[in-house]
Amino acid sequence: MTPTAAEVLMGNFMALVEPPPQESVGDYMSSRISVIGMNSLLASQEVEMGAAVRVWENEAMSALLAKAGAPLAASTDDLSISALDALNAKLRLALIAVHEAVEAKGDVALDREILTLYQAMADKRMLVLPVMPGS
Amino acid sequence: MSLADQLSAYLGRLWGRPVQVLDLTRIPGGASRETYRFDVDVDGERKGLILRRDPVGSLIDTDRRLEFLAYQSFYGRGVPAPEPVALEMAETELERPFFIMGRIDGGKAASPFTVDPYAAHAAAIGEQFFSILGAIAKADPVGLPISDVAEMPDLAACWSKELDYWAKVIETDQLHPQPIVWAAIRRLRRNPPPPAQKISVVHGDYRTGNFLHDGEGKIIAILDWEMAHLGDPMEDLGWAIDPLWGHFDPDKVGGMMARAEALAIWEQASGLKVDDKALDWWSLFNAVKGQAIWTSSAREYRDSGGKDPVLALSGWYTARRHDKIIADRLATLEGWA
Repeated sequence: MTPTAAEVLMGNFMALVEPPPQESVGDYMSSRISVIGMNSLLASQEVEMGAAVRVWENEAMSALLAKAGAPLAASTDDLSISALDALNAKLRLALIAVHEAVEAKGDVALDREILTLYQAMADKRMLVLPVMPGS
Repeated sequence: MSLADQLSAYLGRLWGRPVQVLDLTRIPGGASRETYRFDVDVDGERKGLILRRDPVGSLIDTDRRLEFLAYQSFYGRGVPAPEPVALEMAETELERPFFIMGRIDGGKAASPFTVDPYAAHAAAIGEQFFSILGAIAKADPVGLPISDVAEMPDLAACWSKELDYWAKVIETDQLHPQPIVWAAIRRLRRNPPPPAQKISVVHGDYRTGNFLHDGEGKIIAILDWEMAHLGDPMEDLGWAIDPLWGHFDPDKVGGMMARAEALAIWEQASGLKVDDKALDWWSLFNAVKGQAIWTSSAREYRDSGGKDPVLALSGWYTARRHDKIIADRLATLEGWA
């Protein structure tokens, strides 16, 4: 989940602002600009969904932790990406610890629930590149 | 002094003759090495070469000597590997270590982010791709140059050596907790694979995009051996068929052919059998290894001030795709998805 969209957009600027050495123009620069374009496209998706996905993920992890007897609140008044990420990191660490305990205990039902949550987390965070035909 | 002048001076000293470097141009070649194409004029004779120099920041920390020895191990031995020309470990010549190899012209590499890159030649390319991988697996590493440097693991320890290494990379480089990949690592430790059938040279990054084809259905060069090592040949097979490299076609591995067909070709060429349990393990492992590479990429991107967009794409888009691949595979392996 790193880097953030803000970091990528700043990076795109940094990647373009310095003039390349003479030997790096041509194919290399074309490819580099193409990747910068892809990153900008992905950033547009992340800007649109980033906060909503983090709020959902934090609430989903919090609910599962409560069910596992290790409650950790997901609420925050600060809906900036950095604040949501800081909370997300705490919840993810707690979830890792709970998952380890669940595996050690052999709690198949809760293990399955956690793995299902992982699938949903991965699904919701997916970024999509447009179809680019091979040459 | 320009890079071309430095290179001319170096090759002149190496070959004991005046060398003129011409048309030096950086080309896209991943983020683990700076890659340049150039010609040399020596006594009026012109030859095409490739320079691979260590970057300032990298997606993966690899040993350029091992990569060079891998080329030495397979060049002229039935695997289309470029000719190794010179290896320089000192930082005095071009500021960072580098090596030079022969250039193979007239080929193109597919971007993993395109669809149907091989079109009508997919089956023919797949046949060669998995046959060549089988040939690499079949080769006895004893006596090959790479064995002078690469560690020879025990048959039963290949998996733990690789898993320990890549788990450590994630532990060191992760900027944010990653529950999905850690669940996979724990599962891999709880369910080890059978011992390797043999020790082979493992290319380490054998996949679509890391070879050149001539556009007419022929593979002309296997490239990017920077993660080469000795180990279980199933490791390369698992990486080659990872869904990340499938060109968005779930029915074809590497965008080339059906999985069963690919495995049969590999078995025929390697003389080895594909053990389902072993391949399941190495497939999940490779998704973990991928996630480790993307984790390092994200770390390097942030640490280096965001100047390399390839590191961003790797540490972001591909990382999320591998999270999805791992999460789905974990569910499948538990037998309820």
